Amino acid sequence: MPKFLQHLVLVGLSIAALLTVRGAESYTIAVIPKGTTHEFWKSIHAGAIKAQRELTGQGTKVEIIWKGPLREDDRDQQIQVVENFMARHVSAIVLAPLDSQALVNPVHNAILAKVPVVVMDSDLKSDEYVSFVATDNYKGGQLAGEQMGKLLGGKGNVILLRYAVGSASTEARENGFLDVLKGKYPNIKIISSDQHAGATRESAYQTSQNILNRFGREVNGVFCPCEPPTIAMTKALRDIGLAGGKVKMIGFDAGSQSVLDMKNGDVQALAVQNPMLMGYLGVTTAVKHLRGEKVEKRIDTGVALVTPENMNEPEIKDLLYPPFDKYLK
Amino acid sequence: MTNPTVSRRLFNILGPFFGLVLVIGLFSLSPTVRPYFLTGANFKIILTQTVIVAIGTLGMTMIIVSGGIDLSVGSVVALTSVVGAISLVKGFSPLVAIFFTLAVGAGIGLINGLVIGGLRMMPFIVTLGMMGVARGTAKWLSGSQTVDSPKTPIIDNLMALSEPTRLFPFPRGVWIVVGLAIVMALVMRETVFGRYIFAIGANEAAARLSGIRVQLQKVLIYTVGGLFFGLAGLMQLSRLTLGDPTAAIGLELDIIAAVVIGGASLSGGTGSILGSMIGALIMAVLRNGSNQMGWPTYMQEIIIGVVIIFAVALDKLRR
Repeated sequence: MPKFLQHLVLVGLSIAALLTVRGAESYTIAVIPKGTTHEFWKSIHAGAIKAQRELTGQGTKVEIIWKGPLREDDRDQQIQVVENFMARHVSAIVLAPLDSQALVNPVHNAILAKVPVVVMDSDLKSDEYVSFVATDNYKGGQLAGEQMGKLLGGKGNVILLRYAVGSASTEARENGFLDVLKGKYPNIKIISSDQHAGATRESAYQTSQNILNRFGREVNGVFCPCEPPTIAMTKALRDIGLAGGKVKMIGFDAGSQSVLDMKNGDVQALAVQNPMLMGYLGVTTAVKHLRGEKVEKRIDTGVALVTPENMNEPEIKDLLYPPFDKYLK
Repeated sequence: MTNPTVSRRLFNILGPFFGLVLVIGLFSLSPTVRPYFLTGANFKIILTQTVIVAIGTLGMTMIIVSGGIDLSVGSVVALTSVVGAISLVKGFSPLVAIFFTLAVGAGIGLINGLVIGGLRMMPFIVTLGMMGVARGTAKWLSGSQTVDSPKTPIIDNLMALSEPTRLFPFPRGVWIVVGLAIVMALVMRETVFGRYIFAIGANEAAARLSGIRVQLQKVLIYTVGGLFFGLAGLMQLSRLTLGDPTAAIGLELDIIAAVVIGGASLSGGTGSILGSMIGALIMAVLRNGSNQMGWPTYMQEIIIGVVIIFAVALDKLRR
């Protein structure tokens, strides 16, 4: 009889334990991008949904609220979204801050209100967040530098067309690129590295034309640290007949135009971030933290080097053409 | 004779109030959102988020009642926030930086007023031009980049949320709005300046014929309005802790919408500070609520648009 009672108590306890675990394992996570129309953010959204489906499959109920600022690139609007979710007491917030300073106070308040925050994509001048999930841009630049060294066989003249003044992510890429060339390939000469393309495709195109006008006869390789200058520089190279591999062109990010340019042989390599993994890891890291597991303060979502040779491999294909249909209706 | 006017006035005031209650009721219907939405902490957030628009509506109500419009508000807010941040970076004391911020706002208002009053030009066109001038100047002064302002408690605390889990204490900015709203309501109703504003808006020619110096009054109206927009810029600086030349794009439309929801007519002559404040609150509640409901952004835009049209339709009905 006592034994039977013991069993009963044990069974009862384990059911209770199971119930409480099941009860606690339900999270609402607000994912806040910088905007919602750009393809990059769609990939992050898809990654967040992927995480949600996997976690739900494992018995953890996760609800994702995907919400960008009402006006894209409006810092005040993004602050409002963070505050409103803080008041809503979501389980956690995954945030891509529009500004490294303006979002510090709202994140501080959210943490005071016991809503943990995972930061993704861009850094925040704070150390209160759970984790920073983003591309290691310096590494991405190094990867591009290595490839440039290989393509040129260790010697030649290289142009670096910078993006914009004060853009931290692209500056890290530019530094990574230059450091590798200077350190490992002493016979490669950087003939221009002080020009900025500017934020629009038009300004990038004009700058590219001006640089090529000056250095077009001696240049062997070009690196551009993000999408607008990559597309513009490739176009400028094509204009003067230096595309198609005569000048080795390495770009960053996989916009659909750049991928097309690579198919046509005008781009030799693209360093590509993994926004889908960023969205995925943003959500899973938040859930891990909520479960009380320890998480890394800095999570690198990696950069892949895409070349004409590997661009048809399935893994790379997922990077170039994110499977939106599978995750976003 | 008095009865219909009393009931009409009552309706004018109660109309926007009714709208506010309706909107709050709408979001309270959802059982998942209600426990968070109807809390002191959340209303503190809503009030804080209303501050910038509310200060803007103080100036805009005056301008709209006088039969004018000011489209340059968003740009002026951005410019003054940049001016404030730059003054702080250059090492001026916070009070001097606040003075510069307000002075630039009032200065732009003065220019608007002088051109509108002096050259008798359409406010729509003049302030549309100023919208570009102020935005461009903000980008020029800041080198098209945000200007991080050094830590300045006096300014930072204006909009900083402390104790995010409780209703009180309010950020100082909320109290400033309450105080200024009372002052402006009195100015509009009890002072000669205020009555002139209504007279000009109702019938400019009649106002002129009865001896009001209409052009001078217009200069005054736009200058005081600009002062409020400069104050809104100061609040923007406090909230972002930086001066942002691209901030507040389209803010003037939110402000105009709040004034119109509050019962003012774009043809001038009617409107009230209380109504405009409630209008500003309605917009903030709508935004807060639809965030918390998880409604997509496009839904919010559509709903706010519908509310504006609805408010104006209501306005037509009660005339």
